[in-house]
Amino acid sequence: MRQLGTWSARVGVGFLRACAVVAVSMLIPAVWAAAVALGIRWGPGNPWSWLAPVVLVGVGTLALSRPVCRAVRHLVARWTGTVIPAGYREAPPVTRMSTGYWWNGFGYERTRRDALMDQKWRIRWNDPADRRDLRFTAVVPLTAGLVACLPPAGLAAAVLGLGTGRYGAPGRLAGALGLLVAVAVAPYAWRALPPVAVRFLRPSSAMALAERVEELTAQRADATIAQAAEIRRIERDLHDGAQARLVGLGLSLATAEKLMETDPERARALMREARAGATASLTELRELVRGINPPVLSDRGLVDALRALALDSPLDVTVDADLRHRPDPPVESALYFAVAELLSNAVKHAGATRVRITLARGDTNIVIEVLDDGRGGAHARDGGGGLAGLRRRLAAFDGTLEIISPAGGPTRATLEVPCASS
Amino acid sequence: MRIVVAEDLYLLRDGMVRLIEAYGHEVVATAATGPETLRTLLEWKPDVAVVDVRMPPSHTDEGLRAAIAARAELPGLPVLILSQYVEQLYARELLADGSGGIGYFLKDSVFDADQFIDALERVAAGGTAMDPAVIARLLAGGPSNRRLEKLTEREHSVLGLMAEGLSNQVIAQRLFLSESAIGKYTTSLFGKLGIVDDGTNNRRVLAVLAYLNKD
Repeated sequence: MRQLGTWSARVGVGFLRACAVVAVSMLIPAVWAAAVALGIRWGPGNPWSWLAPVVLVGVGTLALSRPVCRAVRHLVARWTGTVIPAGYREAPPVTRMSTGYWWNGFGYERTRRDALMDQKWRIRWNDPADRRDLRFTAVVPLTAGLVACLPPAGLAAAVLGLGTGRYGAPGRLAGALGLLVAVAVAPYAWRALPPVAVRFLRPSSAMALAERVEELTAQRADATIAQAAEIRRIERDLHDGAQARLVGLGLSLATAEKLMETDPERARALMREARAGATASLTELRELVRGINPPVLSDRGLVDALRALALDSPLDVTVDADLRHRPDPPVESALYFAVAELLSNAVKHAGATRVRITLARGDTNIVIEVLDDGRGGAHARDGGGGLAGLRRRLAAFDGTLEIISPAGGPTRATLEVPCASS
Repeated sequence: MRIVVAEDLYLLRDGMVRLIEAYGHEVVATAATGPETLRTLLEWKPDVAVVDVRMPPSHTDEGLRAAIAARAELPGLPVLILSQYVEQLYARELLADGSGGIGYFLKDSVFDADQFIDALERVAAGGTAMDPAVIARLLAGGPSNRRLEKLTEREHSVLGLMAEGLSNQVIAQRLFLSESAIGKYTTSLFGKLGIVDDGTNNRRVLAVLAYLNKD
């Protein structure tokens, strides 16, 4: 009895699902059919009668293909749990390059408005996903659509043959057959859709390539913006700091020279002031240069620079390093600043007392692990700002940053940068 | 004293030579590259050498390495390292052989000529002279920090000045205290940290530095 219940439920659900498949897969063929009907109705007498149906077919197909495919993806995900990535091209950020031109992912334009317009149209007409969707809408009515038509068609035959009784004995026979087929096929008919969808709605290799290009473009834009900002910061620091101080120094010295004869006491005070100014501007320059390129890093390379960093840290930091060759300076620098940031996070946010930095070099990569015994929950603390910035900086070298930071700690950050061993 | 000056920038080398000569010492030779520094040091065996860290040909830590190499040949050869930066890592390497006669200063320290020459004389006598910036980092950094929690604030500042290589007399002047008071502080802080005080200033300073450098 219970079996009968579950079986009838499956028939019912299957029947509804088959109807849904028919609705989405036959939508575009229905538009075509409507266009043909329109053409026939206007008749051959009118020489322009072909125009409206053709326009209807073209516009209808183009406009409906994406919604149909979205609906199919949604249904497949809901019924089977298989998520098919859509892979539609997303508009990359329009960024201003250091040359002053705007890059929109396809080309350079003089103004932001032009770049946005150009991008919009290119994405609309050049998305490989559109061609894939059109192919799918052509394939699906002839495959999954046809199979899914069986239960509704069988039911229709039963209603016409048995219900109305207009077609006599052959009609009744066909109706009974139809009902039998509909009931037998109902639980399975819709199952033709997922394989077809998976086969034809996947992002193609061209789309994967396009995605990679987009990713690289975004990285390049990030890198140029970060670099420009950095240069501006350095320029500003020099201008407002050391340069201004040196001007003051020259003034003090000039005044002191003048006062040498008349007021030696004041002259001496001015000299002292000048000396203090020179010390202060040196301190400023030192900090600035340290932020650009730490001296130990350029003297000795990454491992010793990390050791120096460990010595300067207020925490108990141990460094385990196995690195036979120095990586390229840009990679070294990125890794150094990433570790420095993680260390300062461990001090500021995690309340850690011990940190362990492990550095290992594989055949194709460098892996650095920073482990602290702090309170964890790094993502919640950080709000994504600092860590996202780190990820972006490492991404320029195809590097990754993984952080495992359960609440209550410990936090384990793993940096990995691919790097050919020389 | 007979002094060697190793510095690649002519302007600074010349200024340094003039300053040293103004205080009545003799500059016997100068050097402008790493290898040249090593050669000059071994050849002249000066009373003290003033060496810049970053020098040609590689513009990395050539000077530092030349100084360490020269001291390996001539143990205890007094060297005062001058640099635009002080790095704890380098300070450790210089102090590693434990034989004293080492100074490590920021280049700005020459602005206070009296103190600079004083440090130079201390190093020549086999003492140590460390830039306050090095010591500040030593006292603030890492594991030694927790071991120093036992000290009173006054003992802490005495320890810092002692680590710079200053004698009790100078520390007393800096802190406006009597020399005997400084003596009391040093005794109590040595007791707390478990450092053996054998009376001679140089060895005492080295003991303090070794303690601070301990992991």
